Amino acid sequence: MTQDPTTTPLAEKPAAAPQTRFTVTPRYRVEENADAYVITADVPGAAATDVETIVDGEKLVVNARRNWIAPEAWTLVHRETARADYRLVLELDRRVNRDAIKAQLTQGVLTLTLPKAGELKPRKIEIAG
Amino acid sequence: MKLIRFRPTTPTFNQGTLLAELDRLFDAGFPAFNRGPTFGAFPVDIYQDGDAVNVCAELPGFRKEDLHVKVADDILTITGHLTTADAKDKDAPKTETTIERAIALPENLNYDKVAAAYENGVLTVTLPKRDEVKPKTVAIEVK
Repeated sequence: MTQDPTTTPLAEKPAAAPQTRFTVTPRYRVEENADAYVITADVPGAAATDVETIVDGEKLVVNARRNWIAPEAWTLVHRETARADYRLVLELDRRVNRDAIKAQLTQGVLTLTLPKAGELKPRKIEIAG
Repeated sequence: MKLIRFRPTTPTFNQGTLLAELDRLFDAGFPAFNRGPTFGAFPVDIYQDGDAVNVCAELPGFRKEDLHVKVADDILTITGHLTTADAKDKDAPKTETTIERAIALPENLNYDKVAAAYENGVLTVTLPKRDEVKPKTVAIEVK
């Protein structure tokens, strides 16, 4: 039988959920060339200090915060952008060399270069003897 | 007091249905103009304060020289050119894409002092108001 919420003492009520910032998945595209996979993600409004790229086990996580706030004197007349941070989660597999992932941010476009793992390239095996 | 009405123009492609607008809330706002079938507009926010009207457009991935901002006849036009090379076929001709958005402005702006800045993929256009329309405080003596 569940407790009546109106009579439960405050100490026993579950804590309120922590405040989370709303996130959206940014537009992104994945391309492949001979040596690497290249991911370009559109994150306008995020400065280089606000973007973090984390490799967490099997996942590649990109968090980009939009920290620009309009000055107080500005009043909003028309809004079309989402006032949300960006979060992109991609799954990596053995095709990617996780230690050599590079990231670059230029004018709101984040470019991630994921080099292909060496063992996937064709190797010649010499015959002993 | 003169009332200033904003009449921002609707995007040029078909995104008028309510469902499409709701979908946009859950998706990042920049339609991939050269990376998918949708073509054209980019999201724009408009602010104003006592001195100026500020237009912020999200245009990631451009170079400053590829962005053009024009004001004429109370209309602000923002144009972006993009040239993309095919990653795999180096000899293929580069694709050129242009996206453009025209925004209706209130009257009485000072077009001589318009400034634009491009940072972190956001283009901010500042259009100062003419002095005679700025809010003025007049002190009235009580006799």
